[in-house]
Amino acid sequence: MTLVAPSGDTAPPAVHSPWPGLIRGTFATAACLAALAAMMIDLKMAPETLLSGSSKLGRFIASMVPPSDGGDSLRILRSLAETFAMAVAGTALAIVAALPLGLLGAKTVVSNGLLHFLFRRCLDIFRGVPALVWALIFISAFGLGPFAGVVALAFADIPNLAKLFAETLENCDRGPVEGARASGVSKILEIRFGLVPQVAPVLASQCLYYLESNFRHAAVLGIVGAGGIGFELDERIRIFAFDQVAFIVLLYMLCVAALDFVSRQLRARLA
Amino acid sequence: MLELKDLSKRFGDTLAVDGVTLSVGRGELVGVIGRSGSGKSTLLRLINRLAEPTDGSVAWDGAPIKGLSGKGLRRWRHSCAMIFQQFNLSPRLDVLTNVLVGVAAKRPLWTSMIKFFPASDRARAVLELDTLDMASAALQRAGTLSGGQQQRVAIARALMQDPSIILADEPVASLDPVNAEVVMGALQRACRERDIPVLVSLHSLDIARRYCTRIVAMAKGRVVFDGPPSALTQTIVDQIYAGRNNRPSLIEDEATMEVAAA
Repeated sequence: MTLVAPSGDTAPPAVHSPWPGLIRGTFATAACLAALAAMMIDLKMAPETLLSGSSKLGRFIASMVPPSDGGDSLRILRSLAETFAMAVAGTALAIVAALPLGLLGAKTVVSNGLLHFLFRRCLDIFRGVPALVWALIFISAFGLGPFAGVVALAFADIPNLAKLFAETLENCDRGPVEGARASGVSKILEIRFGLVPQVAPVLASQCLYYLESNFRHAAVLGIVGAGGIGFELDERIRIFAFDQVAFIVLLYMLCVAALDFVSRQLRARLA
Repeated sequence: MLELKDLSKRFGDTLAVDGVTLSVGRGELVGVIGRSGSGKSTLLRLINRLAEPTDGSVAWDGAPIKGLSGKGLRRWRHSCAMIFQQFNLSPRLDVLTNVLVGVAAKRPLWTSMIKFFPASDRARAVLELDTLDMASAALQRAGTLSGGQQQRVAIARALMQDPSIILADEPVASLDPVNAEVVMGALQRACRERDIPVLVSLHSLDIARRYCTRIVAMAKGRVVFDGPPSALTQTIVDQIYAGRNNRPSLIEDEATMEVAAA
């Protein structure tokens, strides 16, 4: 008995031998593992290093219990508030700058191919610079303190938010805009009645998410000297006051969780 | 009187509208029929300049529409209200605000931006909604309404504009039969009471025959029939809806079936 291929020359690839694919897969996996091992060796990721560090780490953790405010809880709370204020100010600045940029970047609002291309590539370049790098730049320009931190947060967010805003605007339904246009209103009212109601909840939810993530980033900025809770943490790590570090970290985690909860509730209600 | 002369619109290689000459007087309810892609929608959109004509001219009471831009163009769009197949309301705005968009062009910019409209406007909007039996939904979000209800809101918005012309682009194509009758009835009433021209593109020949005072049929961008509904014979219908190879259509099309049944 012979098997006949269903349609001669065009027999589907499904009936081909599986061996070439399996061999290729094996080689690819082996290559990935080799590359991983090479990277580990380069970074000196030896088990001994981990062991030698872990005893110290263990002592740090032991000294964290019980957490203590070091008799300065007012100052800690104040710098926590300062960090939150930095996050709010940074996000607000970023939103104010990103809204017009997002409008300009949306293909459906400004229909100029070249302008659009240049604009997008420009945003891509700026998106490559993380907040920490901005903070270091602005600290050398404006000196240590929250101002540099706020501006750094804003600069890091502007390209991201502008891109998100532009894409949100592009993805919305054109019908309501056309409906408004057909009743003879100006461009700005077309946006007001056709676009804004559609995108407002989405944009608001994006902004809330950025506020939340900026609160987390603001602590890191403090460590490089931009003020706030990060600065307090850095100070206490330097003098090995790990019970106070633990206190701050716990308090901070609580705040992040609370902000996350509030923002999630708000976003669910908006969307 | 609305006058179209040698009006053409080219999209790339295809002529969507090809040299249409037509004049429509006050009080005429013109049904524009034809297969999908025959240029009905484009023709209507050329009139309020949602699409720019490639060639030819549109004039209203002798005044050309072609050169209009900026404020002049917006005033023209304001005076010829349009109704769409997909309603084109803002779904997250309430019904009343959607209707008030119809007067926003005449109000100061900053008051419209904050959705503030004088009480007289709001009262008129409620009255317009009431004649369409939609006043009770005035404070509901437009997106929560059914298709037929949304189209009635869209008509109220159009009437708020105090239009000199109404353009309706397949207003009943996505509605159930009862709502289709309500919408067509409202257009007919607006046409008679305000003594304005109304142009409606339609797929249903039955509706076109019953409501329209005049029927214009299009095929491949050209006007192939223009006359009273009574002159629209079966032979002409077969020609309009003929297949791609100009074969007379065997009952393949909803519209032809309706005529065959009638």
